[in-house]
Amino acid sequence: MDREIVERAARIAHLDLTAEELDRYEKDLSEILDHFQMLDEIPGEDTEGFTPVPVEDVLRDDVPNTDIPPEDLLRGMKTYDGYVRGPRLS
Amino acid sequence: MTSLPDLKRINDRYRMFTAVTDSTEYDGEFVFSAKDNLTTYDFPATAGSKILEGYRPPFDATPVKKMREAGGFLAGKTNMDEFGFGTFSANSAFGIPLNPYDLNRSCGGSSGGAACAAAVLEDHVALGVSTGGSIVCPASFCGVYGIAPTYGRVSRYGLIDYGNSLDKVGVLSTKASDLSRYLRVIAGKDPKDPTSCAQPEMPEALGKIRSVAVPKEAVQGVSKGVMECFNKSLEALKGMGVDVETVDMPVLKYAMPAYYVLATSEASTNLARYCGMRYGQQDGDLTLRFDDYFTSFRSQYFGDEAKRRILLGTFTRMVGYADRYYSKALRVRASVISEYKKVYETHDAVATPTMPFISPRFDEIADMSALDVYKADFLTIPPNLTGMPHMSMPCGYSEGMPVGLMLTADHWREDLLLGAAIEWEKGFRIVKPEVIA
Repeated sequence: MDREIVERAARIAHLDLTAEELDRYEKDLSEILDHFQMLDEIPGEDTEGFTPVPVEDVLRDDVPNTDIPPEDLLRGMKTYDGYVRGPRLS
Repeated sequence: MTSLPDLKRINDRYRMFTAVTDSTEYDGEFVFSAKDNLTTYDFPATAGSKILEGYRPPFDATPVKKMREAGGFLAGKTNMDEFGFGTFSANSAFGIPLNPYDLNRSCGGSSGGAACAAAVLEDHVALGVSTGGSIVCPASFCGVYGIAPTYGRVSRYGLIDYGNSLDKVGVLSTKASDLSRYLRVIAGKDPKDPTSCAQPEMPEALGKIRSVAVPKEAVQGVSKGVMECFNKSLEALKGMGVDVETVDMPVLKYAMPAYYVLATSEASTNLARYCGMRYGQQDGDLTLRFDDYFTSFRSQYFGDEAKRRILLGTFTRMVGYADRYYSKALRVRASVISEYKKVYETHDAVATPTMPFISPRFDEIADMSALDVYKADFLTIPPNLTGMPHMSMPCGYSEGMPVGLMLTADHWREDLLLGAAIEWEKGFRIVKPEVIA
């Protein structure tokens, strides 16, 4: 993994890395991915299940309900007039 | 009311809790703790991360709720590697829990605080969470029993995710009977977690293991002291009437890279929600443009290992690399599951040492590279990758430090493991650490 790819991944992940971090992660991730090359040795099975055991879709009836009162959810957030405050959009 | 020990003083010495009750007594049938990535309404939840500092959830995670309903008193939240990212609990933003057998050594991770609490406190049951070995590793290093059930056996509602297809809530205790009692309390279908709703009932009766398979690949690279304990354990199993056979499971070696690809891919998407709004730290400069706000916030508060895993997981999902890494890892997981299922045609369980070495000293951990740490998980990763129930039982001591024996059973066969633990306990006496508060 070269520097450019580490920088690209960091940009996608919204991480601003220092030069020292970039050096360190480039070295670590290169070592890790070199080791992961062994995955090329095995074809794997012809299935890409996302979970190790089958799961069920559980959908409740489409009826509005309140699981947790909104005021309890808002208590830990920065709010203004009942809205969550966030940064500028542009 | 029943008196509690001076938990704050004990915590000053061992640092197993991120938050602990002020109560000196409790009204309930038993005392338990919850790993700090399980939400509870009466304690903060940080998951070991600075980015969640100050987060006070408004609800109980389902396993915590069930423990309370069964008469449990929640004594505190246990320390852990940030979001579960680690093998030694050394990646917490809130101090490092210390091994009660040697304070210069790790409790293991990532449920290190949970294992420490189970080992140090009398009659304590700890809820832990495993993604790649985070229950059995610390159970082994702290000399307690620990079980991670089948993926989906216990609801993950209220669990702060690491990897959605890998996370499992389980139990740690010095008593084998506690594993059976409390796993039954927290198990079961929960409409709030669809992955829990396909499970069959857990049998009431304890199962009996009659034969175990020991993969040749699992005893390579294991320290001499651990191997001595493991071999004695196999003899003890034979003495209990269990057949022990060595088998080949060559696909196991691919589990480690497949696991880290899947776990970091899932983690990198799960951690996208931490952006300085809604949870924990929210002290960023709101006049910044939103991209800059999120980036500055995440860069400031995520720890070193969290950043490393986010980068790795982002990379393995990137256009041009996803087929080689992410999709391939899913196919390899299916291969590892098939390999185990083949073994279960003729054996009830797979037996290996839990960890390849005794708990390392902190100076030894500081000298390990990131890859060295990932490789240390090579025994605990296969059952976690495949979602199979697995359990560590204390099986001996090397240099005064505990060693664990790990048993892995087929999906939904926790009954076999729980039965084995009860039988094992009859013949193995835990040497408890000297507890100084």
